[in-house]
Amino acid sequence: MRRLACPERDDWRVTAEQAGFDFHTIDGERYWDERACYAFTLDEIERQIEAPTAEIDAMCLELVARAIDDEGLLRRLKIPEAFWPLISESWHRDELSLYGRLDLSFDGRGPAKLLEYNADTPTSIFEAAVFQWTWLEQAIERQIVEGDADQFNSIHERLIDAWRKLGQGKLGQPRLLHLAGTTDNIEDAGTLAYLEDTARQAGLQTSLIDVEDIGWRDDGGFVDLDNREIELAFKLYPWEWMFHDAFGERLAKAATRWIEPPWKAILSNKGMLPLLWEMFPDHPNLLPAYFEDDPNCARLGASYVRKPIYSREGANIALVREGVEVAAQAGPYGTEGFIRQALAPLPKFANQYPVIGSWLIDHTPCGLSIREDASPITGNTSRFLPHAIL
Amino acid sequence: MMGSAAVGAVSMGFVRRRPCPPGTVPVVVPGPYGRPVVSCQVTYGGFGGGPYRFYGHGHLHGGG
Repeated sequence: MRRLACPERDDWRVTAEQAGFDFHTIDGERYWDERACYAFTLDEIERQIEAPTAEIDAMCLELVARAIDDEGLLRRLKIPEAFWPLISESWHRDELSLYGRLDLSFDGRGPAKLLEYNADTPTSIFEAAVFQWTWLEQAIERQIVEGDADQFNSIHERLIDAWRKLGQGKLGQPRLLHLAGTTDNIEDAGTLAYLEDTARQAGLQTSLIDVEDIGWRDDGGFVDLDNREIELAFKLYPWEWMFHDAFGERLAKAATRWIEPPWKAILSNKGMLPLLWEMFPDHPNLLPAYFEDDPNCARLGASYVRKPIYSREGANIALVREGVEVAAQAGPYGTEGFIRQALAPLPKFANQYPVIGSWLIDHTPCGLSIREDASPITGNTSRFLPHAIL
Repeated sequence: MMGSAAVGAVSMGFVRRRPCPPGTVPVVVPGPYGRPVVSCQVTYGGFGGGPYRFYGHGHLHGGG
């Protein structure tokens, strides 16, 4: 794994805007950054990222199978009891997952380590699937990278295949898929638009809706603003928020099938990290982790990362080294408690810390994205850099 | 589905019809004096509270 300085394409902003990548710059700061790329060998990708990603996903499914009807584990995960039946039923009905992104610490020398799993509402998929691929094609044409360069990236094709499975309706009729999220946010709107495009390519009918515009019809069911039943809905809005919203209590009464399914709430929860470690101790791709109220937490010593059970984009995460907090991000999370994870410092290349995002579509590892930051905590403003297999 | 919609569908013929605005549907509910009436009942805004709860505004995104 290497970080290579690269000349920027002089027209990349125009190319981005033509592709609908409107959030390449956020609040005046670069989000897409092609002044460098990360280079991997094929062996690094296949043996050290792709294979461990599949293995971690399999472990996660074992964890869900164990936790799904275990009141003790669901309590440790701080999942409200009212939603246990919804979560359990979605698992026992084999409701399909569309996607997820593992965040890994990897330096090319030791095994990749799971930092966390964005199992419910991962973003950055458009730039990973499409714009990063466009970069590779043009970088080859313009001799920025070698002519035989490749990329770990079949996200787009696999998304379309996955939508085909999800969209199979009765009697061969195309299903209507609603895609809901916070549509006034440029990044979420871009993600929704991309996923909508892939769903259409798979033959689904689609409709975008702001999550606040979802209606509840008193005869029992969620509807859109045109009063159409919401039967199949992709939501870019986390389960833990849905559970606490006013309509949360109605989730169990509705026939809507959600993507990601409710059982993903078990994995989109930092509490899954200590549970995985408990089930698979000493696994090379896991870091020791414990709930903060677990006496075993002392095994981590005075150096660890403290993470809220629920948090988003690095908020309320603190790095503690030898008892001293060396980095922290502010935020509003932590009410449900914290976990502690062994400190696995991110590798440093040119004074930047990269985190690997390893994508799963329908449980198949199929792509890679890299977020880089001058801070060792990856957050919402961390830059996206392309990668190549050289 | 058996519920108020089914009841409404059956009993709509016995109550005074009135149009419902877009985004709502007619539902038969007990009215004054126990007389069935058509009500247009759809509630909105029950999702989307997360960003307001955590940040006091609705502009935070739900993705991550």
